[in-house]
Amino acid sequence: MSLRMTAPPPHGGRLEERVVRDPGLAKKLAKGCPVYDIKPTLNEKGVPVRNVYREIMSICYGFFSPVEGSMKEAEVERILKERRLLNDWIFPYPLVFDISEEDYKQLGVTAGDRVLLRLKGKPFAILDVEEVWRIKDTEALAHRVFGTPEANPEVVQEPFNAKHPGWVIYKSLNPVVLAGKYTIINEPKFRAPFDRFWLPPLKSREEYKKRGWNTVINHQTRNVPHVGHEHLMKNAAYTGDIEPCHGIQVNAIIGVKRKGDYPDESILEGHEATNLGNYIKPERHLVSFTLWDMRYGNPLESMLHGIIRQNMGCTHHMFGRDHAAVGEYYDMFATQTLWDKGIPSFGFEKSVCDVEYGLKIRPQNMREFWYCPVCQEIAYSESCGHTKQKEKFSGSFIRGMVGEGIFPPRVIFRPEVYKAVVKWWKVFDFPFCNQNYVVQQDKNLEVDLPDLDV
Amino acid sequence: MSKLFVVLLDDKRMNAIKGSGLEDKVEYMFGGNLKAFTMEMPDDKANLILSEFDTARIDTRSCITDTPLAFNRTLFEEIAKAKSLGPEVIDNTLARVAEIKDLAAKESDYLPAPEID
Repeated sequence: MSLRMTAPPPHGGRLEERVVRDPGLAKKLAKGCPVYDIKPTLNEKGVPVRNVYREIMSICYGFFSPVEGSMKEAEVERILKERRLLNDWIFPYPLVFDISEEDYKQLGVTAGDRVLLRLKGKPFAILDVEEVWRIKDTEALAHRVFGTPEANPEVVQEPFNAKHPGWVIYKSLNPVVLAGKYTIINEPKFRAPFDRFWLPPLKSREEYKKRGWNTVINHQTRNVPHVGHEHLMKNAAYTGDIEPCHGIQVNAIIGVKRKGDYPDESILEGHEATNLGNYIKPERHLVSFTLWDMRYGNPLESMLHGIIRQNMGCTHHMFGRDHAAVGEYYDMFATQTLWDKGIPSFGFEKSVCDVEYGLKIRPQNMREFWYCPVCQEIAYSESCGHTKQKEKFSGSFIRGMVGEGIFPPRVIFRPEVYKAVVKWWKVFDFPFCNQNYVVQQDKNLEVDLPDLDV
Repeated sequence: MSKLFVVLLDDKRMNAIKGSGLEDKVEYMFGGNLKAFTMEMPDDKANLILSEFDTARIDTRSCITDTPLAFNRTLFEEIAKAKSLGPEVIDNTLARVAEIKDLAAKESDYLPAPEID
């Protein structure tokens, strides 16, 4: 038995890459197709909460392998019941291409047709329609997606409602679903600073090889890193095989986030500042991102994170408490429970790593880091016994400090990281996501598209 | 169980409370790198704050956070005025909730970035 670990296979056995790079073929595929301009999903106040282009990108570049497109009704039903795709591989969320009845009438397509999807007025992708179905009740769908205290008593503590951003996304969907495979026919170009952090699964696997990384632990983030995050990364990386993990990957989720989170640009450059400042040296630290409008689904979101990072080639994934959570809808250890022993009401009697068609990436469930004034260092909660004296890192506490214009001490926020926050604060006139940022973000997106005459 | 509220103190705020007797209540956090008051918020007041401000929430330290900056500033003004960290300071702050909401509406669009080197 070898004690050495290597990159796990992609989820589903092979990486999907549904991207056509030959303009001649692209034109041929799109010729004569009815055209649909991608629109954002809006909440009741008309504010964008999702843009399906991010899902199309993540599907076509293989982050969500083995998913290939917008899901059929039977597949969505199976996910809601068992969190599995029709091909048996586990998957947490329904992903659909939804349009309004008016748009559907105007488009006039049915199963067997192909639709050309435009983004920012330019050809972007095609959708080969295999089925047209309707969501009868989006509110009921939203409840089923995230669970209820009655149906999922192990982990759901209170009913989801309009204060939960992920629930709002599903509640806001249009009724008509065009199900079928997506293919990108006109590769978008990322704008700065996103361009230098774009590392889809095929590329990330190549990059790890180039760096000589056999073991890579992923840090999920939707945050600018404070020193507690930095210590989480450094210490979680002590796991590995016969030596600590060779690489630490930060994979940020880029897309619509809740009010008060940091802008995406600050998140990426804040993490990059951690390695530019040599707090974790650049040879061991790699910042990248996935396009996804966060659903904040704690255990379910962690499953998606595991799938994304396994597809990227990571051997390990760190999970803290309240992973990808907002509010107290889920038990704070719901994610760790899913990866440790499973959540039967979501279809998992065992860890998602121990079930058939499950995941191969290894979880590293971590507790928390705090500042200990007695030890005079950042300490791990399961090691440090000075629980009365502990001083906890809290993202919201630090956001308050930033908002009040107080330069955070080095022991809380590295100055290089804070400078990245201030750089983007000056650009957006605000340090955090607000409605202006979300509206501008949806207008500009992270990409531009080249001309393609079809 | 009552909740907590942390009021951060920079040099300007330390000057404002000079001689008030509140200096003894200053807590030094993170190895002396950060100064603050920690106030106790009774449940009824905590719930009122959470219902008045939709961004406000309780964090993992049982602290009320993500309140508008105008709330934080007003709370400090009332502390400095009353020279106290008692419950009357919270009442006085909540009595100004309409004014705080007006200021908060503006600060959700624009906050001046600090000038740093």
